[in-house]
Order: sequence, then C-alpha cells, then structure tokens
Amino acid sequence: MNDNLESILSEAKTNVSAAPSKEELERLRVHYVGKKGVITSLLHQLKDLPAEKRKEMGAKLNDVKTNVEKVLKLRQSELGRKDLEEQLSKAPALDLSLPGQYSAASGSLHPVTRVMEEFIQIMKRIGFSVATGPEVELDYYNFEALNTPEHHPARDMQDTFYIEPPVLLRSHTSPVQIRAMKNKKPPLQIIAPGKVYRSDYDMTHVPMFHQIEGLMVDEHISFAELKGVLHYLVKDLFGARPLRFRPSYFPFTEPSAEVDMQCISCRGSGKECRVCKSTGWLEIGGCGMVHPNVFRHVGYDPDQVSGFAFGMGMERIAMLKYGIDDIRSFFENDLRMLEQFSC
Amino acid sequence: MLVSLNWLKEHFAKTDIKLDPRELADKLTMRGVHVAGIKRSTGSLTNVVVGKILQIEKHPNADRLRVTQVVFSEEEGAEKHQIVCGASNIAEGDIVPIALPGCVLPGDFAIKISTIRGVESRGMICSGKELGVSEDGEGILQLPKHAVLGQPLSKLLGGNGSAEDTIFEFELTPNRHDCMSVIGIAREAAPLLKTTLKEPKPAKFKAGAHRTSSIIKVEVDDAALCPRYIARVMDGLKVQESPDWIKERLEAVGIKPINNIVDVTNYIMLEFGQPLHAFDLRRIESGSIRVGAAKEQRDFTLLNGDTVQIEPGDIIIWDGERPIALAGIMGGLNSQIEDNTTSIVLESAGFDPIQIRRTAKRLGIVSESSKRFEKASDLAAVAAASEKAAVILRDSMGANVYHPPIDTNEYGVKEHVLAVDMREVRKITGLPNLSAEHAADLLDSIGISSHKKSPNVLSVRLPSFRQDLKSTIDLVEEVARLNGYEHIPQNLPLSVATYDRLDESSFEFENRAKHVLFNLGLKEAINYSFISEDLCKAYGFLNDNLVRLKNPLSEEMKVLRTSLLPGLLQNYLYNINRKAADLKLFEVGKTFFFDPNEETKVKEVPTVAGLISGHHLNPHWSGKSKEVDFYHAKGLVEILVRQLTTVYLNFEPINIPVLHPKRSALIKLGLKEVGFVGEVHPHIKDSVLETSEPLVVFEINLEVLRKYARSGVRYKAPSKFPGVELDLAFVVDQTVSAQSLVDSIKHAGGQLLSEVSIFDVYQGEHIPANKKSLAFRLNFLSSDRTLQETEVNASKDGIVKALTEKFQAQLRS
Repeated sequence: MNDNLESILSEAKTNVSAAPSKEELERLRVHYVGKKGVITSLLHQLKDLPAEKRKEMGAKLNDVKTNVEKVLKLRQSELGRKDLEEQLSKAPALDLSLPGQYSAASGSLHPVTRVMEEFIQIMKRIGFSVATGPEVELDYYNFEALNTPEHHPARDMQDTFYIEPPVLLRSHTSPVQIRAMKNKKPPLQIIAPGKVYRSDYDMTHVPMFHQIEGLMVDEHISFAELKGVLHYLVKDLFGARPLRFRPSYFPFTEPSAEVDMQCISCRGSGKECRVCKSTGWLEIGGCGMVHPNVFRHVGYDPDQVSGFAFGMGMERIAMLKYGIDDIRSFFENDLRMLEQFSC
Repeated sequence: MLVSLNWLKEHFAKTDIKLDPRELADKLTMRGVHVAGIKRSTGSLTNVVVGKILQIEKHPNADRLRVTQVVFSEEEGAEKHQIVCGASNIAEGDIVPIALPGCVLPGDFAIKISTIRGVESRGMICSGKELGVSEDGEGILQLPKHAVLGQPLSKLLGGNGSAEDTIFEFELTPNRHDCMSVIGIAREAAPLLKTTLKEPKPAKFKAGAHRTSSIIKVEVDDAALCPRYIARVMDGLKVQESPDWIKERLEAVGIKPINNIVDVTNYIMLEFGQPLHAFDLRRIESGSIRVGAAKEQRDFTLLNGDTVQIEPGDIIIWDGERPIALAGIMGGLNSQIEDNTTSIVLESAGFDPIQIRRTAKRLGIVSESSKRFEKASDLAAVAAASEKAAVILRDSMGANVYHPPIDTNEYGVKEHVLAVDMREVRKITGLPNLSAEHAADLLDSIGISSHKKSPNVLSVRLPSFRQDLKSTIDLVEEVARLNGYEHIPQNLPLSVATYDRLDESSFEFENRAKHVLFNLGLKEAINYSFISEDLCKAYGFLNDNLVRLKNPLSEEMKVLRTSLLPGLLQNYLYNINRKAADLKLFEVGKTFFFDPNEETKVKEVPTVAGLISGHHLNPHWSGKSKEVDFYHAKGLVEILVRQLTTVYLNFEPINIPVLHPKRSALIKLGLKEVGFVGEVHPHIKDSVLETSEPLVVFEINLEVLRKYARSGVRYKAPSKFPGVELDLAFVVDQTVSAQSLVDSIKHAGGQLLSEVSIFDVYQGEHIPANKKSLAFRLNFLSSDRTLQETEVNASKDGIVKALTEKFQAQLRS
C-alpha cells in the first residue's frame, strides 16, 4: 500500500500541474479527493486494517490528501491568473501622457532660504550654532563696538539707513557677534544669519540682502583655522575649488581678507567669461582675525583669546550656485522664478 | 584712483624694468593694493584722428559693406576720404575715430590704402576694441559731437599723446592713505619688481635777500588741529598754461589742467599724496596766516563759487579775521590764483583728519584734497611735497623762491617705535616658523625699518607715511600680507562648542513655519522690509505705530512694514499682470512697530503671512477645482498652528480695512490676538488690485506662537479595544456657532467621547427658515475595555439633553 500511495501522489502532482483548463482540473479533483475519489476510497478502507497499522497508514494517507489538495489549489490560481491576464489584455489603455494629479500643490522655498539652510547645515556639522539679533540696531553694536567709531573713514564702506541716530538698520550681521560675545564667555562658535540693509540700489546692489557671518573664538585660533573652515565650507557648497585670500581691510578684523573662489564658469581660465568678468575669480566674502579692540569692547582679553570672523552675502552665493544673474530678481517674487525652487 | 605706469617708473631705483602690467596688477592686488582695472593709454595711437562721416552709400559689390566719405575738417569743401566700413551702427554726421594709412593698431594691425571688393578704402573707422581703449568690439566708437575734427584721438581721449602708457585704476581700502599717491604705489610695487624706491635728489635753494618771515607770518592756534604748516613765498610768476609734460601727466589720470600754479599743486598732490594750496599773496591783507578753528557760524565762498556755512570747530585758514580757506578741503574765492597773480604763498600742511572729515561730510564736499586729508597726514611728506613744488615752480616756471620757508614744525617729525612680539605674529597668522629676521626683511622692503631687540621681539620704527600703523596687530597684518596669505596653512579646527548652546529657538521656529507652508504647497516670497506710505494707506495699514527711515532711498522705501500683506498683495499684482493664476504665496519676516519701551524704540515682530488666490488646486483635466474661500484660509492656518504648537485657536469677528467684514476672523490664542485670516476686502480687490478672483490672506505673530511651540512627540499607545462611532444631527438657530455646539458636546459627552467632527452643515428644504442643521460624527473609545451599548447611549442622551437645554436644539432622526 505504501508504494501505491507514493505513486498516487506523484501521478496526481503530474496530472494536476498539467491540467489545461478549469474543467479538467475539476475532473481531477473529483478523481482524487471527490466523494468516490481514489484517496477518499483508500481512507474508507482504513477501518479494515489492524489497529496498529491503521494509525500509521491513516497519517500517511492524510498527508497525501493534503498534498494533493495543495497542488489542486495552486493550479487553480494559476489557471485563474491566466484568465485574468487575458481579460486585462483586452482592457482599454490609459493615455499615459496626460498630466498626473495628486491633491497637493508643490510649494517652494526662496533661493535665499535654501542657500541659508544649506550653509547652516554645513556649519553646524563642525560645531557652529545659530545666533540671531535685531534688524533695527544701535550705532554702538553696528559700528562703535566693531572698532568703527564715529568719523572713521570705514563708515563710508557701508551706506547706512538711519531711523533716528543712533538707531539704524543694521548694515551687517556683525552686531550679533557683539551681542553673543557680551552674553557668553569664550570659547564661542557661532553663525549669524539674517537680513541686512544698505542704502544702495543699482544693477548690482539692493538695499536689503541676507548675510551669514561666522565667528569662532578660542585660545589658539589663527588665520590657518580661518582658511581651514572656509575651505571646508566652500567645498561643501560648491565642490572642491581653489580659494584665494586677498589682503583687504575691515575695521573689525585684522589681518583682513577678501575671499575669492575660482570661477565656476570658466574654471579660472578667465577666457571671455561674463561670470567673473574674465578675472578667473569670484569674490564670495570677507574675513579676518577679530580685531583686539573688538575683544576689548565685549570684555574678552585679546592676550588670552584670538578668533576669526567671516561674512558672506547669501544672494551672491545663490546667484553663483543657481546661475541667477540679476540680484534684483530675488525680491520681485516672480512666480516663474520661485517655482523653480520647489524640490 | 588712477596711476600712470610711466610716472611710477620714475620712482624706481632700477631704470630698465621690464614688466607686464597685468602681472604687476595681480601681484599688487594680492598684497592688498587692489587694481580694479587697467587701461592702455591712447598714447601710441598716432595717426588715429577724429573724423566726421559725411555720406554713406551701399557697397556696389557687397551687401554687408558700406562706402563712406569722411572729412577731417568742418570747412566747406574739405577733402573727402573714401573708407569702406562693415559696421552697422554708423550714420551720416557721426563723429568717429579714423585710423589713417600708416597707422599701426594694437595687435600689430597695419592700416594701408587698400581695395575692398573693387572699392578703394583709405583707412579704417574703428571700434573701441580695435583701438585698445575699451572692451567694446560691437560697433564703431562714437565720439562726442563737439570733438574737433582732425584732432588726434589721443588728445580727445585725454591720453598722454607722446608715449605709450598704462593707467592702473586702484580701489584702495580706507586704511591705506599712503597709497593715494604715485610714490605710495611705487613703494608697494618696488619689491614686487625687485627694485627699491629711488632716493629723491636733495633740493638746493639759495637763501634770498628777503626772509620769508619778513613777508608773511604763520600762526597755528592748536597744533592738534594743524600739526605742521609750511608756507613758501614765491614771486616773479606768470600765470599761463603748464608745460606739456605736466598737462599730460594730469590728463592721463583724469585731472583737468587749469594753469601752471594750480597744476603744480595738483601734480605734487598726485605724486606725494600731499594736497597743497596756493594763495595769491596780494590777497593776504594782514600779512599773516592763522590756522584755527572757527568760533562761530559764518558764510564763506569757496573757489568753486559755492557759498557754504562755516560751523564752530571747522578748521579755517584765516587772514586776520577773514577766512581764506576751508583747511584741507577747498580754498576761498577771495584768495585764489588769478590771471595776473605773480606772487603766491604756497601752503603745505597737515590737519586733524577727524575734523576735516566731519566738515567735508557735513558740507557734502568730496575734493581730491579732502579725500586725502580725512584719512591721515604724513608730516614728512608735508615738507617733501612743499620742496618739490618749489623746485618745479622755480625751474619750470621761473619763480623766485624765498628761502627758507616758514615751518611750524621745523624740528621734524617725531618717530614712533613699536615693539612687536613675534610670538603674537605667529599666533595670529598661523605661521609657527616665521622668523624675526624674515619679518624684518618683509617690513624693510616697503620702507619700514626695524631691529631685533631680543630673539622674539622686533623693535619697529613706524614711518610717518604709514599713519595707519599704530599697534602690534597692524604689524601682524603687514607681515602676513607681505609674506603672502597663500603661505598660511589651512587647518580645520576641532569644535569648541560647549553645552551651554545659544538660543536657536527663534530662528528654528521661523524656519519650521516656512517648511510647514512649503509642504502645504505655498511658495516663499521675500519682500523688502520697507514700503511706501501710499502702499500702507492703500491696504489700510497707516497708523501711529509706523517707523520711518530718516534717509530712505526713495518714497517707495520709506516706512518699515507693519504687516507682510502689502508686500504679498503687491506680489500678487505683479504676477497676475504676468498672466499667472492660482497663486499660493507666503512670507516669513519681521514687522516693525514704534514702541517706546524698546531700547531702539522699535519693536520687531517675527511674522508669517500667506496669500492664496483663485482655485484650491491648479486647473486639471480631470475636473474643476474648488475656489478658495474663508474656510480654505482658515484650514491652512489651523494646520500651520497645529504643526507648530500645542494650542487651540479661537476665531472671532474682526473689522480691518484689508479684510472682508463678514468673511474674515481675528485669530486669538486665549485672550491674546495673534493674527487674522480671511477674504480680501472687495473694495481693495476692486480699486487697488482690480481683480475679481477669490483672494484670501492670513497673518500670524510668530513670537507669541513660539511660546507654545511643540517641543516634540509624546507617545500614547493606541487602545487595544474597538471604538464606537455615532452620527448625530441637530437643528439649531442660524446664529448658533458650530464651535459652541462642539464645546457643549465635548463637555456633555464625558470621558469616553474621544473625538467630535462636523461632517455636514445644511440649510434649505426640510429645515425651517433661520435654522440650520449640523451633523456631528462622535467617536467613543476606552483604553481598558470594549464599550457597552448602554454606556454610549447614556453619553448620547446626555449630549442631546445638554444641547436641547442650551441651544433649543432638536435632534434630527
């Protein structure tokens, strides 16, 4: 009987999986497991066996039955799938080219916001925290404490809007540095993002723009650390690119430098390049070592600590990053510009 | 500032310097003396003259060429030259530069008589690029209509006519007063060209029969205002045109020659950076010059004819009680050089830069003199410049110079010495191996001498020409820049951030608001913080709390905004005029209000605002999208606030000019007003925006909202037991607010009632007039058991009872 069972099972498997139609499959089902099917009949014969054999055989038979039912079910679903495929192949096709619809409009973030966020993320990774301050400032924070007393020639470098002296619209975010240093003992590592105002409006200047300034103060900060941080920042923002530090002057830093990045358009060749005006370099910001007088103003001891500061215009960075060529377009809020910043 | 290369070269010790102007410019720039432009002077353009196009005809054999007839004289019947030209921007009557045969243009381009497609051409009409005078190669260089025909072009363009020259344009930083002169630039350039500054030849004067002091006296009231004053008297002068070499030098750098005496003072100023002033000796009536601060207000007429008001404190050159010059800024009309002047007093002096700047700024005068004096005075240059001027006036203009001059500081200039600790230099520059010897060499290359006081300390003599060098840090910078910033290594420092981090919450909260609205499909706008008063008025934001700029750029940018909406509404207008529709804009920024309690008298409020117009969604082929209305804007506000905070808002009626009186709401957080939301007032839509599109706006104070900011997620395990859902509809008076019903349902529903929402509002058939039906979906849930029907029914009964009692509500079945 054992051999018999084995052959019944393998025969059933072969037949079932080859059944060409649902009708044939039904016939096979009746043949094997129907009321008078082969396996059912064998089950009926179990009662004729001796008790000890009955149990063993019973288990085996049930096993065979289960297996046969399993292959029947499998084949059934296979055949059903085949029918469905046939039906679907006859179904009408969609016009795949029609625009899709999902019930949410796509928003966008202003290019300046994007660049600022990216900038901040990069600086946070190396330990800088965000500090903010008022846009309406006192002369003291905007100039005086930054080593730019009244009648200092450097005041001409930034044309300032006044509300009623000494109240003004900050001309840089440097006053935040003063406020931060007055509030906290060194070491200090901050970036100050925000709007700044200068009384200047032409092809290349707008009266309000966004700046991020960085400040790091500790016991052994030198110009080498300033260069290291700016290389890291620019590499992350624009990819690895040569930088040059051009000696310059700001009253609140000394030594001071302008930071130039190799032109992203002509890659420094300067050949007929509109982006860098054929100089091969793009000015991206100013920087320097914090002037000892600034430290004295905030109660830091310049013999104990040193530090660097740098500042960059976000519109400038966004222009270079996204290829925007008119700074005034940042504040027109033309939808055709804004919607390009939706991802 | 413009500087001529030829002039520079006169000041180098080495005479046969070969240099590439571009390379020199780059090197100077990298040493902090920024060259912003290089211009070739037109000196070499011989045989390029000014011509006039008399006639233009088509070229018989070439479509793109034209045959012109040009003349070099205005006279009737002047000889015509035929020139073939390919440019399109020419017209008959144009005044243009013509390269004549025999001329060699930049790039070794020789011009000769030629035949172009069968037509003879005797020269070339040139573009600026072909002449090397500008970058513009697009069309012919158009010359001014008044230009003298036949004149060499170089003369017209102010070039130096005889020799080729290069003009550098410098953009100097305000600290480098020493570079506002040919000698100053030469001092910086010399080491870059491996040479040194040429030592000036000492001038020799014969002591005259008359002493200077027998003719004029000089008094200085306060040496702090005028630390040095040298007066030289000269006679035997004749006012006339300057010799060519002086005129060419001046013209090359854009200074107009006036007469020999004035030209010499300008020449010396350009060379030494020391402004001079010449008085007509006849006009100094008291025989004495006094330098002193004005004590009272008075009018004074400058030599340019303007009358200005002198204020107490202004430094004045006095002739007795009469002002004759505004010291360091401009001379007076009453003592200027005239055509018949023969004797002069030549002033060379140093003045207090702060007072000069204060006066010049107040009067709005920017003269070549004040630009220099307001930075610093080099008291050694005061003497050198005076001497060289006297030499030129004597040798080239025949002046008889009285000697010695009067010098209020004849014992010379006090030199300051500064001890510079090399450890400080190394610490700041990040150059650990920088030796004292090397630093000394670098300083020496630009004329700053020093000696080693100890292994780590340099004793540096601060030269008088570098008044900007005052403290150690200034020398650190000098050493660093002369050594080259490129030699400083780069090192990414370890973070020094500490646990007591700064408060970033305000910035982060505003950023979160931006992101919520961005994710809800709004586009971020950024507008200027200042707007016009007219705009304030048009949108109804004119009030007593406005903050105005004292020096606005224009009326358009005068008032600090008290709302972000004028900006957004203007953005709406801008965009619909460009055919945009269905706008969704937001802005996060500060609004500004007058507030006497603030240190600056201005309160800044971080604010968010939004604007939505037209349809909820962009038009789509699959069907029509709903138009936006009050509820749409309210929904947006609710999502925004829910995402940012843990608070519930109340919406109450509001009446402000920008909003529809019935379809808008004041947003309140408890008792505090935090903003408003609603449809834009029909009047503003009609008369200001001229639109009939649905338009909704909102504005919220983020500062108040931030106090309730969500600080994170607090997890609550979901109930393991099924909830029960129950729908109830009530008919109530139209005036009953939905919120009051929800509040009562929640109150009466007990603890098991977990959620109430409104799923239908209905008025019309089957409902009496002045009544409305509201349908609520109630969810009951327990965290510890499966609810029994009796429990839910008890709650339902309580709700029905409460609503019936409180609102005379009728349960609909």
